[in-house]
Amino acid sequence: MTDFKELAAKVVEIALKMGLSDCDVVVTNSTYMSAEIEKGSMKQTSLVSDPGVSIRAFWRGSQGFSTCTGMDMKSIRKAARLAVSQAKAGTPDSDFKGLPDKARPSRVAGLYDPKLVRLQPDDVVGLAIRLAESASTSKFITSVNAGVGVGVGQVALANSSGFAGQQRFTTFEMTAEAVARSGSEMFSGMDGGWSRRYDPSLVDRVGMNAMDYGTKGLRHGKLKTGDYPVVLDPLSAGFILLSAIGGGANAESVQRKRTYLAGMLGKSIGSEALTVTDDPTIEWATGSYSFDGEGVLARRKKIVDKGVLRSYLYDSYTAGKDSVESTGNSSRGGALWSFRQLPSISPSNLLVKTGDSSLEEMISDTKSGVFLRVTYDYPNLATGEFSGLMMESFEIVHGELGPSIRQSTIGANLLDMFSKIDLVGKKSRDAFGVRTPAIRVSKVRIGGSS
Amino acid sequence: MEDLAQTAVEHARKLGAEFSDIRIESASGTSIVIMDGKTKTMTSQQESGCGLRAFIDGSWGFATTNVLTKSSIRNTSEAAVKIAKAARARARIKFTIPAGKAVRATEVYRCKEPPSSVPVEEKLSFCLENDRSMKGLDSRVTSTNTRYDDFEIDRVVANSFGTLVNTKERWTLGMCSAYASSEGVIQRGHASVGSVGGFELMRRDQSISIGREAASQALRLLDSKPVPAGKFTCILDNKMTGMLAHEAFGHACEADGVLAGASVLEGKLGKRVGVEEISLYDDPTVEDTFGYFSIDWEGVRAKKQALIENGILKGFMHNIESSSRMQTPPTGSARSQAYNSPPIIRMSNTYIGAGDWKKQELMEDTKRGLLIQGSQYGYVEPAKGQFMFKCDEAFEIKGGELGQRYRDASLSGLILEVLENVQGLADDFVLTDPGYCGKFGQSARTTDGGPHMRVANMVIGGLV
Repeated sequence: MTDFKELAAKVVEIALKMGLSDCDVVVTNSTYMSAEIEKGSMKQTSLVSDPGVSIRAFWRGSQGFSTCTGMDMKSIRKAARLAVSQAKAGTPDSDFKGLPDKARPSRVAGLYDPKLVRLQPDDVVGLAIRLAESASTSKFITSVNAGVGVGVGQVALANSSGFAGQQRFTTFEMTAEAVARSGSEMFSGMDGGWSRRYDPSLVDRVGMNAMDYGTKGLRHGKLKTGDYPVVLDPLSAGFILLSAIGGGANAESVQRKRTYLAGMLGKSIGSEALTVTDDPTIEWATGSYSFDGEGVLARRKKIVDKGVLRSYLYDSYTAGKDSVESTGNSSRGGALWSFRQLPSISPSNLLVKTGDSSLEEMISDTKSGVFLRVTYDYPNLATGEFSGLMMESFEIVHGELGPSIRQSTIGANLLDMFSKIDLVGKKSRDAFGVRTPAIRVSKVRIGGSS
Repeated sequence: MEDLAQTAVEHARKLGAEFSDIRIESASGTSIVIMDGKTKTMTSQQESGCGLRAFIDGSWGFATTNVLTKSSIRNTSEAAVKIAKAARARARIKFTIPAGKAVRATEVYRCKEPPSSVPVEEKLSFCLENDRSMKGLDSRVTSTNTRYDDFEIDRVVANSFGTLVNTKERWTLGMCSAYASSEGVIQRGHASVGSVGGFELMRRDQSISIGREAASQALRLLDSKPVPAGKFTCILDNKMTGMLAHEAFGHACEADGVLAGASVLEGKLGKRVGVEEISLYDDPTVEDTFGYFSIDWEGVRAKKQALIENGILKGFMHNIESSSRMQTPPTGSARSQAYNSPPIIRMSNTYIGAGDWKKQELMEDTKRGLLIQGSQYGYVEPAKGQFMFKCDEAFEIKGGELGQRYRDASLSGLILEVLENVQGLADDFVLTDPGYCGKFGQSARTTDGGPHMRVANMVIGGLV
């Protein structure tokens, strides 16, 4: 492993000589290899290397940030000068209380899998083909579009308080879309997989899921507008919770009163069935790290405990403003981190506590309702209201999965929706940075198209 | 850079690539974020690198480097050819890219004040002035955001047809968001301005009033109610018509999606897909817009493209690959976010053409429905044929007159139904706000537009 930590520390010294109060430097070097399948055929392979450096400079609390691609000292010095001049041009901010102190990075298992490092382009192509084949095993599937990506990254961070750390990451991710046709009917099923570990069985599961739901969706119906119990698949639950809890508990939004969770600490925001932890130490989860984007050591913290909001997510700035400790939720973007990413508050991995129902039991326990598999909508965090399209959803009829639903929407007040969670599944999966089981909400407004 | 580019492409050809192209870029940019009157971040960015593609027998290899030396770029050519061969070994769909026209050109985007020549203090002043104007409007405005972005890119595109294009691209963008609060209700308003060009754009009256526009919208929404869910006849304003043009039809007209079997418009070329009044265009050549370019990222000259004319699907947006496979001329629609992403088919300025109704006539002719104003975001799944977009605000229409103001409305529909349900287009066409469109993890600057348009049977998602 090249010692980027030394380079980061050296750039801190260079920047400090330019008359700053505080600064941190991030050096990242990542390589991402991917293979894409179009209509079941191998289409493109990519090999993208992306080394670079960022400097964050503070002057009287004002923050300047500058990035450069590559690692040549001429570009880095220019970036440092720009960061310093930006910081000095900004408005002073007395709420800035300093960067995290020197600490020894904690050991977190499952950040880096050497098996992924050893993969060659042929191997990644083979995995993409395997994914497409898994998604094509039904006669109704006429087209599969899929991709597999393997990333390897190294990150070093140093700051003016003496912190210097280095960590290595790997990532293994894939998506598949299986397009099914029968006569004039057309539907597509999608699925994705995310891990830091080489796990070929994940390829098969993702392909099978895409195929399964693509095929099931061919039979479709329309729903009347009304209130229904809704079973959220882990894919939709993860997508919604990432924003609703991960974004809603962002301390900066709380301090600026831009979130529905402002003023709710210690209060009930949902049913007792809802417990959510932010955990950057989960082995092989893509949001795990040993230290965060500012050098705060990784630690687990409960955000929601049996429906009660227990913590917000802090970085060093917002923690200083509230006179609390940073929760270590400063992100430099994505599973591999990027020097381009200005630090911002983000959940690491959200972990939803499991219950005791299987997905099948949840559905069979629902006489008439909706199974929402995919939505790409975000809640309005300021109002706590959520309305969006059910991109992939199915009617539940007499406790069984029925036809797919087209052109229907879901609408809910998040606090109301969380209070109506009555069943939580016992089997979790990772989806969009959230490890969650299926979740049932007893009553949600559905805008139908019939 | 030109020599490096041509050498790299030739090297890839010698190694076995049937076609090869390269984008070498050197770029710099500034971004300023103001929150509640204080600078949140002042960012500067320096980027340089190249991305090279090698094509062999239906498969592509794409490789990048940040080190712009002859040896490093030769290594990148070798990597691209090697991985193209790895892909070819497992490709079932084979096709060729026949020799195309070489384009030799230099384009410098119109720009009076290059962003790099403007002191950061002036850019900051633009932001602070807009930010102050939001809080100054009303004490119920409790929190504000202002953002300013600029970017200057020098790009060389070369390919094995002999194309060599130099582009000096410059653009600027300003955005404001205001949060207003009253009696426990929080609402957000936003406004933006942006175009290719320099800092002169930020000196216009329209640009220094985006803060007031955002704050006014947030204040208006305080008096709104959640929209009822159900099916409605809707009159879409210019911004929402633009979003419909982009989301509901534009994406489905991208030829890469059609070739992938993931567009409901596959097999519909030459067929009726909407009422006769509907025409849809994508035109990157409209100057002084955020979606402007005249030569695309594959070195193909861009042109206005009629996607739908009088309700008939006329064509798709193409890159070199899709035009070869569908045996039609390329439309110059390929763009990449940066040198480290391969070029893909993107929309530019996408709009629905004007009709002959007056907006007031459309209103008076609507007994019951909703007026939909402004657009926040939208998305589509062309394979399912479904789209969704979220508006800024909505109004009840009752007996041809405006009534209750609503918030948080999402609109959804089916691509193959929506244009059949159009019941009148106004004569008030405009290209509206600048925005970014996301596709395959890449972002592209775009503009949408159109006239006021009435559509029956739109599904509205709401909380009540």
